[in-house]
Amino acid sequence: MSNALSRAIERYGAFRDEWYALPVLVAVSLVVLAAMPFLRQLALFGVAPLGWISLNMLIVTLVWATTAQAWNIMSGYTGQFSFGHAAFFGLGAYATILLTSTFAISPWIGMLIGSTLAGMYGLLIGALTFRYELEGHYFALATLAFAELLRYVFTNVPQLGGASGFFRPLAREYADGPGLAAFQFTGDLPYYYLILGFLTVVTVVSLAINRSQLGYYLFAIREREQAAAAIGVPTYQYKLLAVAVSAFFTAWPGAFWAMYFNTIRPTTVFELLVNVEILLPAIVGGIGTVLGPIVGALIVIPVGEFVRQSFSIPGLNNAVYGVILIAIVLYSPKGVVSWPSRFVELLRSRTDLLDDDGA
Amino acid sequence: MLSSFLPDACCREAAAGAPGAADPLGGLAALAGTVDATAAQAVLGISLPSPTIFAQYFVFAVLLGGIYGLVALGLTMIFGVMDVINFAHGALMVVAMYTVLVFSNATGLSPFFAIPFAVVLLFVLGVLIYRSTIAPIIDAPQENQLIVTFGVLLILISGVEMAFGSDPRQLGLELGSLNISGVFVPQGQLYALVIALVALTATWLFLQRTMLGRAIRGTADNRDGAQYVGIDVPRIDALTFGIGAALAGLAGGVIPLFQSFTPALGDQYLINAFVVVVLGGLGSFPGAFVGGLIIGFIQVFGSAYLDGSSYQILIFLAFILVLLVKPEGLLGGSADE
Repeated sequence: MSNALSRAIERYGAFRDEWYALPVLVAVSLVVLAAMPFLRQLALFGVAPLGWISLNMLIVTLVWATTAQAWNIMSGYTGQFSFGHAAFFGLGAYATILLTSTFAISPWIGMLIGSTLAGMYGLLIGALTFRYELEGHYFALATLAFAELLRYVFTNVPQLGGASGFFRPLAREYADGPGLAAFQFTGDLPYYYLILGFLTVVTVVSLAINRSQLGYYLFAIREREQAAAAIGVPTYQYKLLAVAVSAFFTAWPGAFWAMYFNTIRPTTVFELLVNVEILLPAIVGGIGTVLGPIVGALIVIPVGEFVRQSFSIPGLNNAVYGVILIAIVLYSPKGVVSWPSRFVELLRSRTDLLDDDGA
Repeated sequence: MLSSFLPDACCREAAAGAPGAADPLGGLAALAGTVDATAAQAVLGISLPSPTIFAQYFVFAVLLGGIYGLVALGLTMIFGVMDVINFAHGALMVVAMYTVLVFSNATGLSPFFAIPFAVVLLFVLGVLIYRSTIAPIIDAPQENQLIVTFGVLLILISGVEMAFGSDPRQLGLELGSLNISGVFVPQGQLYALVIALVALTATWLFLQRTMLGRAIRGTADNRDGAQYVGIDVPRIDALTFGIGAALAGLAGGVIPLFQSFTPALGDQYLINAFVVVVLGGLGSFPGAFVGGLIIGFIQVFGSAYLDGSSYQILIFLAFILVLLVKPEGLLGGSADE
C-alpha cells in the first residue's frame, strides 16, 4: 500500500475520533447542500456531471431528509420503531393548508398549529402505547393504526376536505403576494433554501440531543430500558419527550409539502407508503446517526427519481426503493454512514498485521 | 352482475375519487333496490330496515368476514411460528389475483383450475422469498424483518404494476346469486367462503395430525427447544413461510371470483388483515375467523349506516382498543390452540 494513502487514512481515522468530527461533517454536508443548486449546473469540459439532478428532485430529497431526521429522534435514538409518522406529516400539511384556505391565516401560523397538534397527537399515541407497554411488532402496528385512523377521518369529514382535500390558495388571497411571509414563491430556488433551512434546524436539534444528557438517556432506553430505569432514568417521560419532539418536527416538512405541491389529499399524505418514505433515508443512511438521514436521502431519493423520470415506467422507482431497503438491511444494517469507518478499521487491521510481521 | 355491487372491500377508489363518485353506500343501496325498492328508501332515510334487508346485510357480513379470515390465516401463521410480521402478505395476494387472471385467460379454463395453480406458485415464491431475505436476518431485531418484507411488498407490487398497469381488472365471471326467500347470496363470495373454510380445516388438520405439523407447532412454542430435540428449525421456517404465502395465494386467488382488482387492492386487504389478526390474537387460527367476522360486520353495517368509508374509523378504533387493552387478542394463543 502506498505510504501517502495509508497516512491519509490514518489521519481520517484520527479525525473521526475527535469530538468535533461530527459537527464538522454535519456543517460540511449542509454547506455542500447549500451549494448544490450551483454545483449541478457546473460544467466540466462542456459536460455537467450533475446535470440530471433537477431542483425539484433536490427539494423532494430534502423533504424526506427532514422527515427522516425527525423520525430518527424517536425511533433511532430511543428505539421506539414508529411506522406511523405519516400521521404527523399529514397533520402539519393539513393544518397549514386548511387554515390558510379556509380562514386566510398565515401558513406560518398554520404550520405552528399543525406541529403543535402533531406533538399532541404524538403524546397521545405515546401515552397510550407506553402506558400499556406495547413493544416490537405491536408498537409498530399501533403507530400504523393511528396514522390510518387519521387518513379515514380526513377522508370522511367534509369540513376537513374529504377525499378531494384542499388546494393551496393564491398568495394574494391571504398576503401581499408571493414571498417568505406568504410561504409561497414564484421559482423553485427559494423553496429549496426554505426546506434546507428546515433541515438545518432539525439537524441542529438532533445534534444537540445527540450530545446532551438527554441523548444519553434516550440511548440508554434504546439499549436496555429496564437497566435505564434501574439507574433512575424516568423512561416513560423521556420516551414521551422523544415522541413529541419527533412529531413536532415531522409536521414541518408536511407543511412545506402542502405549500410546495399545491394540493393535499388524504391519500397523498397519510398513505401506507408515506410511512416508509419518511423513514427510508434514515434506514439507508444509518439509524440513530445524525448524518444518516441526510446521506440516505441524498442516495435514495435522487436514484428513485432518476429511475422514475428516465424510464417513464410507473412503479419502477418503488421497486428500486424495495431493492435498496432489502440490500441495506441484509448487508449493512448500520447504514451507509458506517462505511468509511468500516473501511478505516479494515485497513488499520491490515496495517497492524503488517507491522507485527515486520517487528 | 349483482356481484359487482357487493360492499367493496376496497374503498381506496372511493377515497381517491371525487366525493360521492363511488361510495360503498351507493353500491349497497343499488343492491337493496333490486331486492326491495321501498326498503332501499328506508335504508337511505336511516330508519329501521325490514327483516329482509337486515338478513341481507347479515349474509354479506358473514361472507365478507369469512374472506377476511382467509386473508388473515397466512399472516397469523407466519407470525405464530416465526414471529415475523409479513408486510408482503397483501402483495402476495395481488400476485395470486393476476396469476389467476393470466392463467384463465391463457388456458381458457375456469378460474377454479387457476386457483390451485396460484397456490402452488405462491408456495414456491414464498420459500424463495424466505430463503433470500428472511432467513439471513431471522435473529435480528424485529424491525429489520418488517423493513425487509416491506421491501418485498414494494418490488412485487411494482412488478405487477409494470406488467399489468394499475387499471382495475376482472375475470368477467357471471356467477349470479342464490335467492333464499328474498335474501341474495352472491355465489362468488359463497364459493370463496367455502374455500376459506376448507383451507382452515385442511391447515388445522395438517398442523394437528402430521409429524411436520407437530414440528411446526413445536417451533412455534419454543424455537430453542425445537432445535434441541432435533427439529430443523430453518427448514420449518421455510416451510411455514411457504404455507403462509400459499394461503395468501389462496386468498388472492378467490378474490377475482367476486371483485375487480388493482395492484393497490393488496394494501387495503393487508391493513385490515393486520386488524383481523390482532383482534383474533396473533398466531391464533380460530381467532383469525372471529376477527374476520368482527371486521366483516363493522364494514357491512358501517357502510350501510355511515357515510363513505367512515366504518374504517370504527375498525381502527376497535383495533387500537384491542392493541392497548388485550394485545394478545380476543382469542390469544399460539398456532396450536
